[in-house]
Amino acid sequence: MADCQVSPEAVRYDPAFSREVYALENGPQIKKCMQCGMCAVSCATRASMNYSPRRLFNLIKQGKKETVMKSNTMWMCTTCLMCKVRCPRGIAIVDVMHDLKNLAIDQGYVTHPQAAFYQAFWKEIWSRGRVFEGGVTARYFLKRGILGEIKTILSMKDVGMDMLRHSRMPLLPPRKIKGLGDLHKIIEKARSQRKEVS
Amino acid sequence: MRYSFYPGCSMEGTAVPYRKSVEPVAEALGMELEEIPDWNCCGATVASGVVGDYTQQVVAARNFALAEPRGLDVLVACSSCFLSLALTNKRFQEDADFHRAANEALAAAGLKYNGTLKVRQILEVMVNDVGIERIRARVKRPLTGLKVAGYVGCQTMRTLPWEFDDPEHPVVLDRIIEALGATATPFPMKTRCCGSSQTLPAEKILMGASREILESAAEGGAQMIVTPCPMCQLNLDSYQGRMNQLLQTSFAMPVLFFTQLMAIAFDLPPESWALKYNIVSPFQALAPLGINR
Repeated sequence: MADCQVSPEAVRYDPAFSREVYALENGPQIKKCMQCGMCAVSCATRASMNYSPRRLFNLIKQGKKETVMKSNTMWMCTTCLMCKVRCPRGIAIVDVMHDLKNLAIDQGYVTHPQAAFYQAFWKEIWSRGRVFEGGVTARYFLKRGILGEIKTILSMKDVGMDMLRHSRMPLLPPRKIKGLGDLHKIIEKARSQRKEVS
Repeated sequence: MRYSFYPGCSMEGTAVPYRKSVEPVAEALGMELEEIPDWNCCGATVASGVVGDYTQQVVAARNFALAEPRGLDVLVACSSCFLSLALTNKRFQEDADFHRAANEALAAAGLKYNGTLKVRQILEVMVNDVGIERIRARVKRPLTGLKVAGYVGCQTMRTLPWEFDDPEHPVVLDRIIEALGATATPFPMKTRCCGSSQTLPAEKILMGASREILESAAEGGAQMIVTPCPMCQLNLDSYQGRMNQLLQTSFAMPVLFFTQLMAIAFDLPPESWALKYNIVSPFQALAPLGINR
């Protein structure tokens, strides 16, 4: 298990990054982690992660900013909540993952494809008030670059055709919500409040 | 039994058969659903990754502000919507600082939420408000002999763990399946994650997870899977063809919303069964019950 490897690097602790993470909405919870590994064994997508949640938390404590921010761990999280239910210290691990995704996007660590998906999803909420799946898909491929993703697009055409044939993929979006302007005001106020706090 | 109904975005798109079956089934059980006027996206499990938990929860709370004047419990059928809405509501009720700050944000649009509503998951409403006895009594076409795997999915039970049923091995959906006259099959993967929204960015995750779930259902002897989750239904239903191509599997496991199965067992008009939307055909499994295309 990669989880057991000890790094040959000399250990250096850099509290600047750990403080930055502890200041996030759910950041203080990381300090409760006792490195038991229950999250790692419970995680549905652990096999695809660079580091298990346990290791990621340890890297945060050590202040390894680049390693943490470039890792795919938070992006592989599917919010299945098993770690949150099982964590003996009651850490809302998935909510910490939300914070780490948010921090990565804010600071431009957006090379993992999931980052494009998340941004596409949010753009959809912002522009319609509701999410139209066709819109998210189109925005995702535009963001990733159609040329680079052409293989994916072609390989998924059978799934897409099946969905079209069974009327599961409307081609036109539903109407925007009536209160879209109101929703924008609420979002802008919430985001400005968040800035004041941090 | 009156509820404010939050359909969620999926029901306007990929989860059409959920919408088409849930409303007639609710009506048949004596429930009245009133859609929240001009509801907005709850943010699912995604928005917080872009704007943070606080902003997402304020966005979700607009729905409560719109629903509160009616004073009815908010019924949620989608598990991702339930996750977002139930946690937002809990925070409104338990965290005074959040309550105050979120209302300042809502006030930017002249809205306010006092935190008086309850957010209810549809499976929980089915067992606690409607009751298994009432469901059984409404059955007109018992699904005798049909073997069904109840796929609860991951978020439904784990959003508010221990508030109803077990977060890892729930039986609530099996009880509903049995009330319809069908047989609930053993299904160890019933709350395993299906891969969720990794469809676009990392379909390998989706196929790995979905494969294990489908195999687990098949090993238990199931002829079909039913679920209350739009994402689970879509992933398991729409990816079987691609998995058969790439992984040399031979899946042909129909995946229905549990409300579609209820509509059949209640003998409601076939439009409410909404079977034409299912990608893997359920008709072979349903043929012994006299249901044909």
